[in-house]
Amino acid sequence: MKKKKLFQAVRFHIGACLIGFLMIYPLIWLLASSFKSNDTMFLDTYSLIPKEWAVAENYASGFAGVGGVKFATFFMNSLIVTVVGTAGCVMTSLLAAYALSRIKFKFSGLWFGCVMLTMMIPPQVMVVPQYIILKKLNLIDTRTALILPWFFGGAFFIFLMVQFFRGIPRELDEAAEIDGCGRIGILFRILVPVVRPAIITSSIFAFYWIWQDFFQPLIFMNSAKKYTIPLALNMYLDPNSYNNYGGLFAMSVISLLPVILFFIIFQRYLVDGIAMDGIKG
Amino acid sequence: MKKTWKKLTMLGMAGVMACSLAGCGSGGEKAPAAENTTKAAEVTEGSSAAEKAETSKEPVTIKITWWGGQGRHDYTQKLLDVYTEKHPNIKFEAMPSGWDGYFDKLATQAASGSMPDIVQMDYLYITTYAKNNSLADLQPYIDDGTIDVSNIDENLLNTGKIQDKMAGLVLASSYLSMGYNPDVFAEAGLAEPAGDWSWEDYAEMSKAVHDKTGKYGMTGVPVDDTNIFNYWVRQHGESLFSEDKKSLGYADDAVCSDFIRLWNDQMADGIIPNPDEYASLLTLGQEAGPVVTGGGAMTFEWNNYASKICSVNDKIKMVTPPLAKDSDSKGLWMKPGMFFSVAETSKVKKEAAEFIDWFVNSEEANDIIMAERGTPVSSVIREHMVSSGSLSAQQQAMFEAVEAALPLCGETPDPDPVGMSEVNEAFKNAAYSAFYGQITPEEAAAKFRKDADEILARNNQ
Amino acid sequence: MKSKKKKSIYKRTDNLVGYVLMAPWLVGFIAMWLIPAVISLYYSFTDFNLLNTPKLIGFANYVRAFTQDETFIQALKVTFLYVFLLVPLRLAFALFVAMLLNKEHKCLGLYRTLYYVPSIIGGSIAVSVVWKQIFGSKGVVMTLLSVFGIEQSTSLLGNPKTALSVIILMGVWQFGSSMLIFLSALKQIPHTLYESAMVDGAKPSYTFWKITLPMLTPTIFFNLILQIINGFRVFTESFVITNGGPLDSTLSYVLYLYRRAFTYFDMGYSCALAWILVAIIAVFTVIIFKTQKNWVYYESED
Repeated sequence: MKKKKLFQAVRFHIGACLIGFLMIYPLIWLLASSFKSNDTMFLDTYSLIPKEWAVAENYASGFAGVGGVKFATFFMNSLIVTVVGTAGCVMTSLLAAYALSRIKFKFSGLWFGCVMLTMMIPPQVMVVPQYIILKKLNLIDTRTALILPWFFGGAFFIFLMVQFFRGIPRELDEAAEIDGCGRIGILFRILVPVVRPAIITSSIFAFYWIWQDFFQPLIFMNSAKKYTIPLALNMYLDPNSYNNYGGLFAMSVISLLPVILFFIIFQRYLVDGIAMDGIKG
Repeated sequence: MKKTWKKLTMLGMAGVMACSLAGCGSGGEKAPAAENTTKAAEVTEGSSAAEKAETSKEPVTIKITWWGGQGRHDYTQKLLDVYTEKHPNIKFEAMPSGWDGYFDKLATQAASGSMPDIVQMDYLYITTYAKNNSLADLQPYIDDGTIDVSNIDENLLNTGKIQDKMAGLVLASSYLSMGYNPDVFAEAGLAEPAGDWSWEDYAEMSKAVHDKTGKYGMTGVPVDDTNIFNYWVRQHGESLFSEDKKSLGYADDAVCSDFIRLWNDQMADGIIPNPDEYASLLTLGQEAGPVVTGGGAMTFEWNNYASKICSVNDKIKMVTPPLAKDSDSKGLWMKPGMFFSVAETSKVKKEAAEFIDWFVNSEEANDIIMAERGTPVSSVIREHMVSSGSLSAQQQAMFEAVEAALPLCGETPDPDPVGMSEVNEAFKNAAYSAFYGQITPEEAAAKFRKDADEILARNNQ
Repeated sequence: MKSKKKKSIYKRTDNLVGYVLMAPWLVGFIAMWLIPAVISLYYSFTDFNLLNTPKLIGFANYVRAFTQDETFIQALKVTFLYVFLLVPLRLAFALFVAMLLNKEHKCLGLYRTLYYVPSIIGGSIAVSVVWKQIFGSKGVVMTLLSVFGIEQSTSLLGNPKTALSVIILMGVWQFGSSMLIFLSALKQIPHTLYESAMVDGAKPSYTFWKITLPMLTPTIFFNLILQIINGFRVFTESFVITNGGPLDSTLSYVLYLYRRAFTYFDMGYSCALAWILVAIIAVFTVIIFKTQKNWVYYESED
């Protein structure tokens, strides 16, 4: 019996590692390429071991930045926008989702329809009117222009949390009500611990989306020193001239670190919904 | 109002003065067409120092945007800093960008009336912007001598002229060329192509390379845009677009089907890659393309190809593309590389024009640019760059080749019509349909005509 | 009795509380979505090239799409194919892996991270280069294929017949976000349910069909809706890797309308295309919402 278990575990780990390698191959490729010298990079793209090492050159040229702005500046811009934006986005979405799933107020059905509708239209045709509105508000080329839209929440997150709230029995709320809990109290004391996985998932997604967003910063930002990382990386490349791929790949690796780190830290909190066990059963 | 105008003019003159004083020699000899320039210059000369002090009090901010890679951003920023140092009242608000998304952003800004003052503009889009009155006419600034164009080839200069307005000042020129790897020619036992070669020579050489070495004779499928086809059409004595730009300009579809068949046949023989192979070659990027690595003999490119890839392979040479045997029509033309345009909404047009003049005509600026934006348009600057000895061997060869290619160039075609990128896409799709064997070259030619005429008619009403 | 009385107090304040909680979203909805949406709807009835003043032309843009535009039909075809192949594949795969990772094993965090990584690399700028290199002739995929005797010169991305399948394959490979959502839903299923089933001696397949799957239906429903919406709006994949080619075989609908708007200066028409897409997605979404009472199980509504 014990042997069989061990065999199963080994099989599982071998399988999981194999798939894992396939999954992560592009990242390894990116990492390996960031070590290769510019001139040999594309000569043997299948190889993960550089012919000519150029780690220092690539990372130095990448960190040197573009157009007189250091890469660290881009990094900080991204970090500020992403952290503040994620917090705002998750908070607003949580409140809206709670209202939509637990409170019966006038037109709540209509508003839920609107939430869904906002997901359907391609952002490409919205950007010109949005630009005009932000310009009227004097927000073009400010960090606020990048952060504010996220403070209005996101349909994806609202819908996700609504689905999770609907999976929680109402007796929970009612029991809290009897104990004299208010609406807000129910949300934060009773429901939030239960839907923690959804909140964490939302935070992971929000962090990643804001971090990698290209189109909005592209249109709304003007000065290089306020650019976020995706915009900065785009500036390393020009299809019509000789490119510093080494620097680009090096900085791409750096730019992926926070997202991966954020995920590694927060996925640990994706543990079982303990709170639920108490009531059911 | 009049007063400010006068002040602005003075300021401009002072700028030009400062420039020539600093020895940036904006063209040694004065333009023959610029009689009024000399007159204006006299005025400035009469009241130099005092005027200068006065104008420097008015701080001006110029918003400028361009696309490019890391290198271009770095030196352009430096360029702006140098200019500000020389003209303390001029400040820049730079909006550098990568190529991806550059025109999306520009269109959005234009749509909301907030285009930057100076805009780096591409040939593909300049007509669209000019026709919709988004770009200022630079002619007045050329006439009053703010921008000195006396050393710029007139044909080239006029590529920026749209509906009698100078919508952009051309910054660099390029022309179609064939890049080739001499080693591959040696391996096949062939003499290298010379400037007077014909399409027949090309067909023979590329076949010989493939037969003897098994490598590609030519590594491109030259239908991704209409540039090479345009060259071909011009060699047949016709033009790609009609006078009114509402339809194609050549009458006989055979011109087009012959072109597509040429490549179709070469593909069938394995001399050039088929679309499958070509797609995977493209993924290698220019720096690892077959000509560079010795896997192919020739490729159609712009004339700066050799200097672009010289850090990977410094042996690549360039030659003008094949000539048509029984035709005197000159197919080649100097294509404008990129422009600086000034927004119609700009409130600092004069200052912007001065900067453009400095950018194009001053040795100081061009010593920083180092021809990164392409072969400079001013002949004086080209001479200066060659004689200064700061160029790489490939750049040097490129500069010399320009002088040699000029006699081969015919009249520059009119600026691309509105809808050009859509026409390119239609051409590519028609030709590829033939290459994939879905239709015959004749049908492809007819399909292209049908699609292109529809696009052109819709866009150029 | 007591709770009922309390409830009635809540009823009166429900409107107020509801709107207060919704306020941040509502403000954003009106400012950054509703107004722009109305403007873009207006554009769709105009001849607008971004640089001119919009000129009303009635339904001409919509008529043009359905009567004169072959590329529109092609883009529609590509997008439908993409959605109907990708969504079931990705969801099945995501659920499978999530189930696998929900067991008690060592290094689960590591695996979770490994499997999620493709989803975050998917959007970065270098990705176009990475993808092209991996599927390019000297990349790992072609090298592997040639080991199995498949000719190196046949590039999967260069063939109009196979290019879309590569794009779909890549979409399946980026199952990480769906997996994560499944995973967090699995975590929310109370242990006690499984424990009591175990006590009753139920087989694993029984617990999967009778406990796991029903408890997961809200999440499956969510993922389904979301994947369909995102599938119809697919842009990055076909823009970054093939740019719609070869021969428009990977031209997604949104890539086409993006080109119309910004490359061909045809914003009015592009807006019309956008609203046609909204209509298509809305129809699908409404249909799925209508069916949900037949198969989606909500704990709060039993």
